[in-house]
Amino acid sequence: MSRKIVAGKMFCWLSGVLTIAICLGILIYVAVRGAPALSWDFISQPPKMVLLKGLSGGILSPLVGTAMLTTMSIMLALPLALAMAVYYAEYAGDNWGAKLLRLGNDVLAGVPTIVIALFGLIIFSYPELSFLSIKVTGTASERAFGRSFLVAAITMAVMVLPYITKSVEEAIAAVPSTYREAAYGLGVSKWRTIRKVVLPAAWRGIASGTVLGVGRVASDVAIVWFCLGATLTYSGPEKWWLPQNWLDTLRSAGSTLSSYIYYASPVGSGRNTEKAYGAALVLIVIILLFNAVVIYINHLAMFKPKASSPQQKAAK
Amino acid sequence: MRKRPIKEAIIENMLLVCTVVGSLIIFFVMFFIFSKGLPVLQASGLSFFTTGGWDKTFSASWSAAPGKTNWQYGAVELIAGTVLTSVGALLLAVLLGMGCAVFLTEYCPGRLRRPVEAAVQLLAGVPPVIYGVVGLTVVVPLVKSLISNDLAKQMVKICILDGTSLLAGIIVLGVMITPTFVILATDALEAVPATYRAASLALGVSHWRTIVKIIIPVARRGIMAAGILAAGVAVGEFVAMAMVAGGVAFLPNPAHGLVFFLEPVRTLAANIFINNQVLGRKDMEAALFACASVILFICIALSLLAQLINRINLKGGRPR
Repeated sequence: MSRKIVAGKMFCWLSGVLTIAICLGILIYVAVRGAPALSWDFISQPPKMVLLKGLSGGILSPLVGTAMLTTMSIMLALPLALAMAVYYAEYAGDNWGAKLLRLGNDVLAGVPTIVIALFGLIIFSYPELSFLSIKVTGTASERAFGRSFLVAAITMAVMVLPYITKSVEEAIAAVPSTYREAAYGLGVSKWRTIRKVVLPAAWRGIASGTVLGVGRVASDVAIVWFCLGATLTYSGPEKWWLPQNWLDTLRSAGSTLSSYIYYASPVGSGRNTEKAYGAALVLIVIILLFNAVVIYINHLAMFKPKASSPQQKAAK
Repeated sequence: MRKRPIKEAIIENMLLVCTVVGSLIIFFVMFFIFSKGLPVLQASGLSFFTTGGWDKTFSASWSAAPGKTNWQYGAVELIAGTVLTSVGALLLAVLLGMGCAVFLTEYCPGRLRRPVEAAVQLLAGVPPVIYGVVGLTVVVPLVKSLISNDLAKQMVKICILDGTSLLAGIIVLGVMITPTFVILATDALEAVPATYRAASLALGVSHWRTIVKIIIPVARRGIMAAGILAAGVAVGEFVAMAMVAGGVAFLPNPAHGLVFFLEPVRTLAANIFINNQVLGRKDMEAALFACASVILFICIALSLLAQLINRINLKGGRPR
């Protein structure tokens, strides 16, 4: 009997320690392998399609790509997610229609990104949608290239929409009903209550949900690989900073940090493990910063969403 | 009752329109994937799930004369790969994760608790591609060192043993989904009312027995939901699996004994990722969509199951 107890206790301690060891191990390993690659050139040079290790450039355009793609997709997804969340939390009630829509939301939140990436590439390859990317001419069947920042941003937005909706809805639902009742009691209309009382009270939950969405966009590979381009070559105009070139830039293919890591890894065509670890270190630092922001915002939050859905917690 | 101002009605309807549009997008994505995969699933019928030879059929369709299409594919290797890696990873994650969750809620000293939780959350946030790179440069060579030269020579007619294997896939995938499971299981264990534990301890039951007989049974639904969601993550993982589990669509043979775990596999999701260059060929594209449909179906089933468990929890079940 007592031996069993000791064994059980040992097992729990061991697995706890093992989990921490794995976490620290991965972080330290990536840091140690990645640190030698870091230099100012690594950050400030665009990657070059050269297999020679010294000449393969840095990660400038993947970094810019990550920043562009996350900004664009969050800008696309957030307004719609906010509207949906407000509707679900404040107007929808508990009828079967709302239940069905919520169920669809929950299900899509659990769908792997590779499936959504496949959807994105095929749907945006229809020639009618070629204004979003580049038209491919000269082949037997005319179709759009289907790979560009615009396409990838839209697909990413579809991917994060259910996540952000869900966490914003929970943040709104966590605002105590006394707040609303107090506003109604003063004769304030429903929409004004939402805008002036509920949303300001829930902003921290909304912000941390959005940051989670940013993390998901930054760490995804499938949508980048399929919808933004499977190489590192940046196909847009050289002088991307000129305003008249902006649209062409958005219609061109590119890369992000996560796709760079895959490309530079031993299985990708870059085969430059040091650079892959360097980029991985940069990406982990970015994700760490996001995590710190989420922890800080949650720390500030007045109302912690209670009993949130398991999926949401998994994302945190 | 006072008539509602027009502005309020307009805003409510605008929000409704936004919700309907968003939901239409969501349902359209699912419908589109199923409808694109249907031709292959229909033409292949049940044989999609029972026959193999994916790589052979695929390269045959790739080199087929233009205009000639093949709608019949068998994906049993891919499905077996998905099931084997997911189940193995889930076993690993549940074993490690339950220990870690009990450690966190019961044994962990107060000062250690927040750092450990932060580490687990960070581990959950590390992008899959980094797990893939680390797995490829650390786990795969380790697995390779298990394979002797004689064994590799002996097996070379059947498959190439180079370390990218089912075992490496299970280890990497298990480590990937453990944090998800730990976070959810810790929540479930914490939701058990403190009075239950106090009552049990007051009766003179030992701490360990209280955990095994009271706390874990009461939290079992939450733990089950955690396992289901972790399984959902495992089924959809592609990039790490494409990197460490081997690129060959091979059906591991249990008759080989322990070598079974050293044989390469390919999962459904990794298959879509690896074969993306065929997009544009109608029939092969549909074959990939058929794989996507199977993944989508599994994910829908898993998330419905998780919802069902939560629902029972709310209505009937043990009082919390």
